[in-house]
Amino acid sequence: MEKITINYDEILKLIALMEEKKLAHFELEVEGFKIKMCKNTAQTAAVMPDVRPAAGQPQPPANSLAARAEEAAAEQQAGLHYITSPMVGTFYRAPNPSSPPFVEPGEPVQKKQTLCIIEAMKLMNEIESDMDGVVQEVFVENAKPVEFGQRLFSILTTG
Amino acid sequence: MFSKILIANRGEIALRIIRAARELGFKTVAVYSEADRTALHTLLAHEKVCIGPAKAADSYLNVPNLLSAAEITKADAIHPGYGFLAENARFAEICQTSNITFIGPPAAAIRLLGDKNRARLEMKKARVPVIPGGDKILQDFAEAKKAAQQIGYPVILKAASGGGGKGMRIAHNPTQLEEQFPIAQNEARAAFTDPSLYLEKYLAKSRHIEIQVIADGYGNVRSFGERECSIQRKYQKLIEETPSTMVDPRLRRRMRAAAEEAVRYLGYQSLGTFEFLVDEKKDFYFMEANTRVQVEHPITEAVYNIDLIKAQLRIAAGQKLTIPEDQEMRGHAIECRINAEDPETFVPSPGKIDFLVFPGGEGIRVDSAAYCGWEIPPNYDSLVAKIIALAPTRQIAIKKMITALEMTTIVGIKTNLPLLLSILSHEEFQKGAYDTKFMDRFLAQKETAAHTAAPLEPGS
Repeated sequence: MEKITINYDEILKLIALMEEKKLAHFELEVEGFKIKMCKNTAQTAAVMPDVRPAAGQPQPPANSLAARAEEAAAEQQAGLHYITSPMVGTFYRAPNPSSPPFVEPGEPVQKKQTLCIIEAMKLMNEIESDMDGVVQEVFVENAKPVEFGQRLFSILTTG
Repeated sequence: MFSKILIANRGEIALRIIRAARELGFKTVAVYSEADRTALHTLLAHEKVCIGPAKAADSYLNVPNLLSAAEITKADAIHPGYGFLAENARFAEICQTSNITFIGPPAAAIRLLGDKNRARLEMKKARVPVIPGGDKILQDFAEAKKAAQQIGYPVILKAASGGGGKGMRIAHNPTQLEEQFPIAQNEARAAFTDPSLYLEKYLAKSRHIEIQVIADGYGNVRSFGERECSIQRKYQKLIEETPSTMVDPRLRRRMRAAAEEAVRYLGYQSLGTFEFLVDEKKDFYFMEANTRVQVEHPITEAVYNIDLIKAQLRIAAGQKLTIPEDQEMRGHAIECRINAEDPETFVPSPGKIDFLVFPGGEGIRVDSAAYCGWEIPPNYDSLVAKIIALAPTRQIAIKKMITALEMTTIVGIKTNLPLLLSILSHEEFQKGAYDTKFMDRFLAQKETAAHTAAPLEPGS
């Protein structure tokens, strides 16, 4: 097998490709060669679970104030391409209780396709995907409250 | 009583309300914008809900998100604090129809008193003295000129739906009035989307003195001794004190009686403040009523040894007022507002607080949502902390306040601490012989006189 080599320009191209494809993490290992690239922000998000307590759940006592201040500050930096809630309300994965969910992890979705419903002020608001891709994860359980900006889905682009 | 209260505000007042609610055993819900993830109110409430991006119009003023937040957290009451939606009658109505208690006066009272012109007319009916002036909206300059001739110059133009000094312009003669009329109109339009103006006699040497009231749903009304708020710049209060050096027991009784009369006439409930202008002859005139808790409420709490927010929460929950009648004022209280701003140029100075020491000791109260390492977002008002000093006499209270401010250290942002210190040391302030134009004179003096003494620095 031919030995793989890589030069500086090619690394730059890989970085650009990561950006373009919105990849957070890239790893390649073949005999005698290994490259691993992570986006800083992405890494934080990937390693750290969403530790935000869902609205409506009690918070830890105030003695961890400093920790929570830091944690809240860290959250601010986490900036992956997620579908986030545009409003405060209740999250529904299906158009009605007897229907299957709009989407499941692993399923492809298209831009403008409905992903979920958020009920606010007695109105059902359909939340659409803003990109073509594949649903990676659903972060919120059905019928749970969501706050503004809360992550609902992660989507991997296929565009 | 309530089980859970949502606080539709931020900063020190949100913390103030969280404190009172916790002391009464209520659960609290903080709402926050994306710029306030690390704000103290967000971290110290029992629950928190993000309600929008940094811009206040999309978060703290976002009524659908606020109500949804109350719904998903099952909060049964909303406290609006001051500013934001505190004096929005529509919001109070929407809360009501959503079966959430709005902690404040009835929507009708907010609407009536929020319309400055209607408020004046109602006060006249309640026999509360009002400033001489046109009782109608002025359509154009010609009408304004006619009204000004009737009451005599100087006159002040005011926005009908105004507040906070926006749309207010003074004219000493018809030429100035002609100049100022369109400016005031534009300011009023820009600030309140309503260019309506009215005109009043302008009292040149007057004091801004206000009366705190509280009323329950059973006809019980209490008023308290005056707050002197004449130290203000561009209608923004900087230092408040109680009692006022110019109010004698007789004037105090008359002002309190007028405020109580107004409350009864309006059927007003909850906390409120009646603002008056008092002239040199000790005649007082109704200016406006604020249908919310005010920034400077702690000085009244200090001299009366009461908790106004807890009393307000209890009343909102349908309880009777328990504050005794005819309590005496005990000592003298002063409040200084520490703002994140350049003390010379007044340009706001948001940013990270690298080091922070607040004063303490007997008689000092600090109401603040600031902490070391916190970054003050540029999106909201610049109030960093309120320092309140309580002492047996005015002289001791001033000394106490000066000491407290000298011992306050805030590094990383600019604050008005040096300005506050030089006001407190100013002869006019020390004598208690100031009026609402004090800051204009003070700043003019500062500009002409070269700095002979550098402002006091902690540790120097």
